[in-house]
Amino acid sequence: MSTRRLLVATCGSWLVLWLPAVRGGLERDMALHMAVQMPLLIALGALVAAATCRFEPRWLAAADWLGIAGIAAVVLGTSFWMVPRALDQAIADWRIDLVKFLTLPLLVGMPLGLSWRRMPPLGRAFIWANFIPKLGAVGGLYLGAPMRLCAYYRLDQQELAGWTLIAVAVALGITWFVAAFIGWTPSCGKRPSRPSVDGAGRQRALHASAA
Amino acid sequence: MTMAVTAGRTAINPRAAVLAYLAVSGIVYLLMMLLGLTMRLAQAQWIDVPPNFFYVVMTMHGAGMVGIAGLSSAAVMWHFVRRYIPVSTAVFLTNLVFFLIGAVLILGAGFIGGFGAAWTFLFPLPAHSGGLWSVNAAASYLVGLIFIGVGFLLLHLDIARGILSTYGGLGAALGVKQAFGLAPAEKGPPPAVTASTMALIANILGILVGAAVLVISLVNLYVPTFTFNALAAKNLIYYFGHTFINVTIYMAVIAVYEILPVYTHRKWKTNWAFYLAWVLSTVFVLTVYTHHLLMDFAMPTWTLVAGQVISWLSGLPVLLVTAFGTLTVVYRSGLRWNPAAALVFLGVAGWAIGVIPAIADGTIAVNSVMHNTQWVPGHFHTYLLLGMVAMVLGFMTYLTNPQPRYGFAWLGYWLYLVGGVIFVIAFLLAGAASVPRRYAVHVAQWLPYDRIGSIGATVAIAGVLILVARFFVGIRTAASAQDPT
Ligand code: HEM
Ligand SMILES: [Cu+2]
Repeated sequence: MSTRRLLVATCGSWLVLWLPAVRGGLERDMALHMAVQMPLLIALGALVAAATCRFEPRWLAAADWLGIAGIAAVVLGTSFWMVPRALDQAIADWRIDLVKFLTLPLLVGMPLGLSWRRMPPLGRAFIWANFIPKLGAVGGLYLGAPMRLCAYYRLDQQELAGWTLIAVAVALGITWFVAAFIGWTPSCGKRPSRPSVDGAGRQRALHASAA
Repeated sequence: MTMAVTAGRTAINPRAAVLAYLAVSGIVYLLMMLLGLTMRLAQAQWIDVPPNFFYVVMTMHGAGMVGIAGLSSAAVMWHFVRRYIPVSTAVFLTNLVFFLIGAVLILGAGFIGGFGAAWTFLFPLPAHSGGLWSVNAAASYLVGLIFIGVGFLLLHLDIARGILSTYGGLGAALGVKQAFGLAPAEKGPPPAVTASTMALIANILGILVGAAVLVISLVNLYVPTFTFNALAAKNLIYYFGHTFINVTIYMAVIAVYEILPVYTHRKWKTNWAFYLAWVLSTVFVLTVYTHHLLMDFAMPTWTLVAGQVISWLSGLPVLLVTAFGTLTVVYRSGLRWNPAAALVFLGVAGWAIGVIPAIADGTIAVNSVMHNTQWVPGHFHTYLLLGMVAMVLGFMTYLTNPQPRYGFAWLGYWLYLVGGVIFVIAFLLAGAASVPRRYAVHVAQWLPYDRIGSIGATVAIAGVLILVARFFVGIRTAASAQDPT
């Protein structure tokens, strides 16, 4: 798909999500709100990033050294929109919801798409390893809460949201594990070279480089 | 710490980093053993320890030992796996720093804050101190654990990165194809890589689960109205805790695979059975924690049955191939015994022997009698003190003493072995006589076991002291030396 078409498609999807019927439908339920609408908004931003990363100005790439700044934005943005009060506000006031509709793609999805490639593998793995238990713990807290945390959602919806987050955490954990087990790496075009070495060869190579 | 400057950029000498790990380990092991002796002497009524302080000591001994077991066996793993894959010394040292921060928080929680809810911090006990410790002390303990967990997470992730860049996938590094005869065993990964792969799989998953339950426990401390299903929390805690301590043996055993061949001049041969054993144990190590729930009747029955069966099987595959491999490497090799070889050999023996009473205890019929008796510390001290620790001490000796001046080390070896055997047998006999574990105050009938155990422990600690002292004597030359080959 060409860049232009992809951009049109993303904007179109964004507008569809903003349609009152769709918006209301997805926000009516806490689990849908957190586990469907918000990830979709993030994904739209990431798609835009993937389509436009070729045009990224050099200064931006330089400023976002190792992807640290971008990932910081991602962590802050996602953490903020996990707070029950933020969810409440978004439902109560369409202007706040618009903020959510803008920040999730632009301040979370785009940086994610742009910075992820720049992060060293250890950094990426560490982000995953933080995100998965965080989702699980937030889910657990929704289950353990003695009262409603959101004014707009019933206790049973809160419980469902808790279980959904836990299920997502488990699913992500399993996917991550399976990907590492079979050695699957998402890549755009070029596969990373994968030298198949026997132990002794590797050992010699390392010793040679150490000497 | 020695710094080597290469081509304008400072690189930390990886050997010095390993020695730093081992130096910390030697000291912490000795201190924690003295805490253990304190408990034993208190049970023997040879010294007077107030019961609430006994539980502080028990918590610190448990957490400290489990932590340092992880740290020291990680040093073994990292030192050897580095021969085959690229790893980062900076990440390795970061783990040490996180560990030390965590240790300070945990020791502060215990000795300043009085925290004594056992190293297993079972929910909701940390929040119910009965006035013995404050919420902040409990929080300091939990945050300390988080620090240690994050450090290990980074270390294992870095090793995973190195493994993926070299072998493509964790499955290949584990030797899955070789295990099922789909590829020739000679082309399989070296044992150190296989073992490190299983260790990182188990520990990363365990730490992720542990992080979630630690955060939940922290929230419960400060906002007690947030309550959680205690049985679920117990599952998560043991998933983390059991896995972490269990994995130490699989990291330390790399010392056996790499050190024995040096002295016997025979290669450690891997075959399909070796890889199959590691694949099976990888699956088991992730599920075996359920033996901690054998007395929890609220658990669904099938999980209890599974827990029982898996507990029987869990350690066996790797233990069998390792014990068999050890014998074939050593048998008629003309090996001239030295303390390093003897220590790693003892490690295999201690592991094998300690597993027998453990398997007995993993049987529900036995567990309903032996549960929470000193049978339990009896079996785990056997394979930890005389198995895992022996492998680590063997590694320390191997690194610091290339020349055969072994007289003093032999003295340390025998004191440690004889004292250790007496110490664990006293526990096992007490357990067989239904002496409960985790009791600060013992009745008169139990004192003989406690006293014999105390004597054994004292002798064992004297032996470890000698071995650790020898390590420190050799540490300076070791930093610039090569591994004995
Ligand atoms: C000479 C050395 C040691 C001595 C004297 C010693 C002594 C003790 C004693 C007296 C207990 C409490 C038993 C009871 O419940 O009645 C104990 C528990 C324990 N020890 Fe050791 N120990 C030693 C070495 C080790 C080592 C090397 C490890 C692990 C690497 C270890 C790990 C533990 C753990 C995890 C507990 C359980 C604590 C709890 O119940 O919460 N110990 N030890
Ligand atoms: Cu266990």
